[in-house]
Amino acid sequence: MISARNVTVIYRRNNIVALRDVNIEVPSEIVTCILGPNASGKTTLLKTIAQLLNYSGVVEINGRDAKSIIRELRRILSYSSTIEKQDLLGVTVLDVLVYSRYPVSRGFFTSEDDIKRVYEIAEKLGLEGLLSRRLSELSAGELQRVVLAAALVKDPRILLLDEPDSHLDVYSKIWLSNFLREISSRVTIILSTHDPIFASITCDYFIVLSRGEVVFTGPREELLKNTGILESVYNVSFTSISLGELHILLPLNQNIHRDKLVKLGEQSHRDTSYNSSNTRGDH
Amino acid sequence: MSNKWKIILVFLFLIASIILPLLYTRVITLTEGLPEKIFTYRFHRAIYTVLAGVVLAASGCILQATLRNPLVDHYVLGTGSGALFAVYTTLLLLEHVTLWVISLAAAIGGLSALAITVLIAESISGGDVAYVLSGIGVTSLFSGLSVLLLYYVASKYGYASLMLTGTFIHSRPENLPYILLAVILVLVGYVLLAKRLNVIMLGDDHAAQLGVNPNLTRLSASIIAGVSASIIVSQFGVIGFLGLVTPHIARFILKTSDNRLVVPLAMALGSTLLFTTDTLSRSIMTRIIGEVPAGAVISAIGAPFFLILLIRRFRGVIS
Repeated sequence: MISARNVTVIYRRNNIVALRDVNIEVPSEIVTCILGPNASGKTTLLKTIAQLLNYSGVVEINGRDAKSIIRELRRILSYSSTIEKQDLLGVTVLDVLVYSRYPVSRGFFTSEDDIKRVYEIAEKLGLEGLLSRRLSELSAGELQRVVLAAALVKDPRILLLDEPDSHLDVYSKIWLSNFLREISSRVTIILSTHDPIFASITCDYFIVLSRGEVVFTGPREELLKNTGILESVYNVSFTSISLGELHILLPLNQNIHRDKLVKLGEQSHRDTSYNSSNTRGDH
Repeated sequence: MSNKWKIILVFLFLIASIILPLLYTRVITLTEGLPEKIFTYRFHRAIYTVLAGVVLAASGCILQATLRNPLVDHYVLGTGSGALFAVYTTLLLLEHVTLWVISLAAAIGGLSALAITVLIAESISGGDVAYVLSGIGVTSLFSGLSVLLLYYVASKYGYASLMLTGTFIHSRPENLPYILLAVILVLVGYVLLAKRLNVIMLGDDHAAQLGVNPNLTRLSASIIAGVSASIIVSQFGVIGFLGLVTPHIARFILKTSDNRLVVPLAMALGSTLLFTTDTLSRSIMTRIIGEVPAGAVISAIGAPFFLILLIRRFRGVIS
């Protein structure tokens, strides 16, 4: 269980209150999603949990103050956003994965254990063929997978992912969603995203932020019932649709009223039948 | 090749690159039947070129990794000229100066110049080219001032003008403790920082979540690289581009950016390159045009390499 009590973050440089009195409780071993528009505090909340920022208030990991277990936290918690890719320094994918075992790797040089674990993770994420490539030679989607692999290679129990689905094509998003759900039985995952569809098919628990304040926390079903919360935050209409076991959050164009969605569906159905009858008529 | 073999070969090469030049010097002086006095001079000169190569290459590796910038070394960042300016100022102001005072002044001057370059570069954009531009400004400033001071210093200290491009002509046994101090500094830096610098190369947030404090690492790395290079400058002058070129060759050979391997291989390459250059300029070039400072020869080789890097850097951005 990860919890935050009265957490406030102020960026001293420009005196902006990035998080205001945040109180949340995140259940263990499920995928939690932080939703919110740009500059709502998603990244700040993730970084605060990861102990990468100064904050007031208390963050607790399994009932212990995160500040007091910082060394242990570096081994069991991964925060991942981006990795710098400076072409001429020659950093390869293998390098990234080896270096990212820093807190769990023993000894000065890379051990057999390190190499073994790196290859296991690379295989799991389909990166075996890319290990000797330089970061600058990767596509944005490939780099995103390397970032995820770098977060996993120290076998964390808590995984904080800042927009892990950005730059991914549809296939990769579905793959990522399945992958995160699969590992979530062993790892507590908190991610932020801008994609409500990806969020709703991947995550079980939601935190919605608006201008640094928490406006909703609760399980997916509750959010799907109260899409009005998202509408007020994003200023966009939302609906939820169910396809078998899948429950999907769908943003709508402002001009389309929710009632029209059904009619649109019918319309397209009618169009199809019209076309097919037309085709028949031609024969 | 397995990682274990890479480590063994790199360290064997490093040891060989230090011992072989000394053996070569001994053998040559014996076969030529030169007096012991000349051997002592040449032996010290060999030790200093080898160790200065080690220090400057390591300093270059550390600076490139910690600033995540492939275009820098102590010379490009202005540390060299800042240290030299401090040396000249000390020689000018103090009547009797010891090598300790000169080394200390060089360290202060070198670090100050480095700090100015970093502050200006960060205020422009913090990009890798901003560091080069800011470094050029700082280097020009301190080089210009050094040349001005040289008119007065040269009358007091004959070798001062040669230090502008770095030379080992005036190698004396007294230099040894300072060179060893610089070597110890980079060795300590290597052991303490190599693993951390690897992580720093991936970005500050990534490093911090792995438990590496980026600011503390950058500060200690800059001090170690800056002070060690400044000590070399205080004894032999500014030798540019050696610290820039050798890390790139090491990364190219090893096909990795891992500083645990790149630093020792760059050290080996640095010592080999500097010893060879100095020996050639002492033996062959003396017969043609007189002794050329080793630093000048290294610059002539290193500067085109730097320009190629710069072109590759911008091609990378465009394509």
